[in-house]
This record gives sequence, C-alpha cells and structure tokens, in this order.
Amino acid sequence: MNTHVGNAPIAAAKLQHHVIYVSDLKRSKDFYTRLFDLQFSALNHPDSSAAMRLANMEMHFFSFGFYHHDICLVKHHKLQMDNGSMLHFSLIARDSAAFAAIRQRAKELGVATRDGRLIASAKAPPGGRAFCLQDPDHHWIEILEEAGQ
Amino acid sequence: MTPVSYVPPNVLPPLLQKFAPLLKRKWFRALVLAPPTLTGRRFSNKTEDYGVFKPSRIARIAQVSIFVQDIARARQWYETLGGLRHSRTGEEEPHPFKEGWRIRCCYMSAAEHEECLVLVEERDPEGKVTVPSGMSFFHTAFELQGNRLEDVLAFAAQAKQAGFAPNYGPVRHNGEPPLGDGETGGNVACYFYDPDYNNVEFCAAMDTIENYRARYGDAKGSSRA
Repeated sequence: MNTHVGNAPIAAAKLQHHVIYVSDLKRSKDFYTRLFDLQFSALNHPDSSAAMRLANMEMHFFSFGFYHHDICLVKHHKLQMDNGSMLHFSLIARDSAAFAAIRQRAKELGVATRDGRLIASAKAPPGGRAFCLQDPDHHWIEILEEAGQ
Repeated sequence: MTPVSYVPPNVLPPLLQKFAPLLKRKWFRALVLAPPTLTGRRFSNKTEDYGVFKPSRIARIAQVSIFVQDIARARQWYETLGGLRHSRTGEEEPHPFKEGWRIRCCYMSAAEHEECLVLVEERDPEGKVTVPSGMSFFHTAFELQGNRLEDVLAFAAQAKQAGFAPNYGPVRHNGEPPLGDGETGGNVACYFYDPDYNNVEFCAAMDTIENYRARYGDAKGSSRA
C-alpha cells in the first residue's frame, strides 16, 4: 500500500498500468503471452461492455500476476492505430532468470533484440542489463533487469 | 515554437463527455447493450473473469515515454495536476531509431516511482516537432497516493478546484453502484487529457489477486462462468 500523509494534495504514487492500441488483437495477444507469460485477466467487448460499444473498441486485459491488469491491448474498430504518440514503454523482469528467458523466447520467436536502453539519456538500470524489441505493431518495448533480483 | 492545435480522432467530443457519466446507470448500460442482448451475442466480461494465479516474467511497468509538442507546457500539466516531480531534462540527442531525427527528453518522477514518465519532443531532420497522433496508446495510468476510493474522489475534487476537467470519471470499473460503470478491474479512476491529448488515468483500489482470492478462493473465472 502506498502512502499519503496529512492534508497535502494527493499526487501520483507510481505508474501502474498502460493501455496500448494494436491492429490485430489475436496476433498481439499471442505475442505478449508467449514472450512475457502475461496472464489474460478480462475481456471488454462491444457485445458485453457498454463503454466499449460506445467507443467502438475492444480491450483485452493482462496481469503480471498481482493486479487485475498491468498491460491492456485495445483495438479501435473505426480508427487506425499508429506509432505517433509513444516512443516506448519499459518493463522490469521478475528476476534474472526471467530476463534471460524473455531474451531466449524472443530469439525463438524470431524477434530481433537490441542491447541497452532505447533512449541514450535514460539511466542505466543499476547493476542490471537492458534490451529492447518491437511488438507486432512496432511499439518499442524495453526489458530491464534490476540489480539484486 | 507554438504548439499546433490538433485534436486526435479518438478524443471524446465534449458532448459525449457530458453523457459519459450515464454509464454509471445500469438502465443506460442495458440500453446501449440492447442489440447484442436481443440477438443473444451478449456475454459476461466482468471482473469474475479474473483469476490469475501464475506470475508472469514481468514484475512491473517501469517507464512510459510519450510525445509532446512542448516539454515546458506538458511538464507544468503533470506537475500541477498529477503532482509529478521534474527529475531532469536532457539536451537534444539522436533519435534512437530514426536516422537524422532528434529527441529531447524530460524525465518526470512520481512520489514512489523514479523517472516513470518521459516527455519527449521529437524533431524531424528539418527541426519540425512531431504533433502527437493520440493513436499509439489509449491511456497510461498512475496509481494515486493512498490507493483508496476516497483518494480518487479527493483527487478529482482537488483537480476540479485547480481548474482541470476530467474527460471521464470518477467512476469505478465494476458494476457496483453508485460509481460502477460496468467495466472490469475494480479500479476507481478519473481520466484527463494532457495538453497534447494524451489520455491519462489517475486511479486507486484496483482488484488484486489477494482480494480475488478472498472472494472466490482458488476458483478461476472461467470455471465460474
């Protein structure tokens, strides 16, 4: 549980989840679940969700294993997604073994990887490693290893 | 450079924003979902689908970098509304994957999350800044200090007092009145557009595997459908 003290204005405590547009839900779902073992946690479909019906969208929710959702994939049924509003997002591997397993899985899936952080000015993970790859819609994803994991 | 005025196609028109609170009414949701209900296509998508017992290879999300037209304008918005802190702003640097392009990055920190947000000005070889399209991510979400329903309501009130209008919320993403909008996750949330129409959620009290287990034990959602 994060903390909020006294009568100070309430501020953001941490980045919690991220919802990205994809062009093909099945393809992206396969990619994210196979690469990261993300767990499918819910589906908001225009035939079952009033908000999605009004917005012409379909959203698939994925959990890292604790929160209901950490990453969501959303397909807009009327509009085309693009890469024009986000440079990348970063994910921290559960431990060193998971970091290595993601890299190995990427290799097996034929996904090209690039060592180091994506943005040159980003801080190096303290004592850890980093590599980057792209999902099927060319969203850049950075995988970080934390020291001491 | 003066920011270009551009409204991405996925931005909720003001009229729809006014009607969006009706999603908290069960009758309105039933009305919207009448066609799939009458044709038998409607199915359950509710939080009960959740039942994630296996950890993934990922521990948490570390950072999101988003395009903005004007770092100073965006930084002020995130500081004033979200209470984020400026960590540092770098000099222009080569674009990580576009030859001849350049970026400048402003690193923002949340109370308990160092450099979780990067505000990026992207420039083409002629120096023209990218106008964010709004179509790469639907929203990015910050958990609020306190992480309780009351904290989101207090945050929404403090935002209103400071002159910020949400595009949606506060709502709770479940079916429980009075805040529930029939969606999934259990999080209490309010959403705002930043100056570049990047959609930002401020939330709390999302369902976790712990409170799922308290309700349903080890039964997976699919087995209870």
